[in-house]
Amino acid sequence: MSQKLSTPPPTVSPAATPEVRNENGLKILEAGQMLADFGAYGLIWMKHDLTVEDTFGRLVDFVTRGELVTNSVLPIIGLEESILALSAVPSRVLELPAVSVASEPNKGGKLNFTFIWNTRRNCPMAIAYKSSSQTEIEIELSKQIRARLMAEAEVTAKSKELARANADLESFAAIISHDLKAPLRHMRQLTETAFDKTGLADDAGLRDILRDIEGQSRRMSGMLTALLDYSSLGRKYEGLESVDTRALIEAIKDSLPESGHAILIDGHWPVLSTLHAPLDLVLRNLVANALQHHDRPTGTIAVTCEDQTLALAIRIADDGPGIDPHHHASIFLPFRTLKPNGESNSTGMGLAAVKKTIEGAGGTIAVSSNPVAARGTTFTLTWPKVLRD
Amino acid sequence: MIARKVMLLGEIGVGKSSLARRLVFDKFEFDYKPTIGVDVYRYNVPDSPTRPQMSLILWDTDGNFGDAIFKHIYMKEASAALIIGDMSRSPTLDSMVKLGSGFGDAFPGRHIGYIVNKTDLTASPEAVPLPARLTMPGTSLIRTSAKTGSHVAEAFDAAADSIARRNP
Repeated sequence: MSQKLSTPPPTVSPAATPEVRNENGLKILEAGQMLADFGAYGLIWMKHDLTVEDTFGRLVDFVTRGELVTNSVLPIIGLEESILALSAVPSRVLELPAVSVASEPNKGGKLNFTFIWNTRRNCPMAIAYKSSSQTEIEIELSKQIRARLMAEAEVTAKSKELARANADLESFAAIISHDLKAPLRHMRQLTETAFDKTGLADDAGLRDILRDIEGQSRRMSGMLTALLDYSSLGRKYEGLESVDTRALIEAIKDSLPESGHAILIDGHWPVLSTLHAPLDLVLRNLVANALQHHDRPTGTIAVTCEDQTLALAIRIADDGPGIDPHHHASIFLPFRTLKPNGESNSTGMGLAAVKKTIEGAGGTIAVSSNPVAARGTTFTLTWPKVLRD
Repeated sequence: MIARKVMLLGEIGVGKSSLARRLVFDKFEFDYKPTIGVDVYRYNVPDSPTRPQMSLILWDTDGNFGDAIFKHIYMKEASAALIIGDMSRSPTLDSMVKLGSGFGDAFPGRHIGYIVNKTDLTASPEAVPLPARLTMPGTSLIRTSAKTGSHVAEAFDAAADSIARRNP
């Protein structure tokens, strides 16, 4: 007997040490130990009808002698003919790697089965190896791949949902603002007809009411036009073009109506590849806003540009009445104006459009003003120098 | 009882193991454990007026096989393939078409069932766009949720019916 038999290798537990069951027992034991040295831990001998004749090794201790091997080793089902066909070419092997053998998954790990034809005993034999493929690293890698796929799927789904919601909202705003204008126009015409034809114009009180109805419907029509413009922001612009920002702000200044207010342009205004119309909209609205809400016949609006590494930092500072800090957040909301209805021609959409346009380009806008401490309001915006076309 | 081998194919993480475990053990495990190699399950489909009781031997494969699976010993003597995709990941749905075509070429005449899994992730699973091949007339397509169990047994019973018709 070899030295190995007197000192069993550590890979075979004492409980699995086979008893000598027949006359070939010693040889089987020796062969098993030799195979164990090469990494095989289980052997199954079968009869020609694939019932289990004998087994060796702890990895196949769940296989019952006398039973069909397929009852214990499910993966063999379907391969019966292939196993028996090995008798014709005994040099061939049939390998079945990394299959689970326990009925409860994740119990007992996975085995590699190699089927051979045992020519000496003239029977099929299975050699079971513990599968080496199920390593912790592989499991961890698979988990990470799966987690990344799941995360990507979630982001894609959310992006699609968001894009659809935005599209719905924009088309909804466009539809209602467009469609509501028609009945409004009709109402105004009916008011004028009533005014002209019914002789009610003689009644001073009724005349005022009719004029009020007409004025309010005009105001609402203006708001709907502004809403239509607002909803189309970001969709109607062409691609990038070379823009001389100094020329742009000068042109805006020249196009505004003459007033007693001085518009002072300062700083470094570069030429850059950007979206011309949106930048024009932003600067024009902010300068016009400063002029419109100035409470004195004369004043100064200072427009300065700082050419920073990644963005233009543009400041529009006026010496008007200022904006209470309580209103700083709300002035950027649609239809918000700090003056009562009727006292201003503003629809309250100007700053909302400015904010939406700037943020659409990837920039920011902030307002700074505290009328209690000092007059004046300063809007500071950043406009990225590199935009995606 | 006759036993037939059914392959579960699909990209990694589409829910092949979850479907098999829901079917066999009526359980859904929230902890993801990727399949390395193959897990094999037995599912006994009760008899019906049109076919006898049948034992489906489900081969739950590692999703990383890709096309190589068709040349693998695992596929030997497969009676059917259930090809699974994740409703929330459109690339896995595209892969279903490729896997279906590969199985059809390797095993002509065998049953191919398409399963679009994870219907629990959307309120209207029917609205999720699918590759045209999956919705062609005559294609076996079932939408399932391994998480809730919705239509899972139906998908496997349909496979058993089809196998019995083709290979009684």
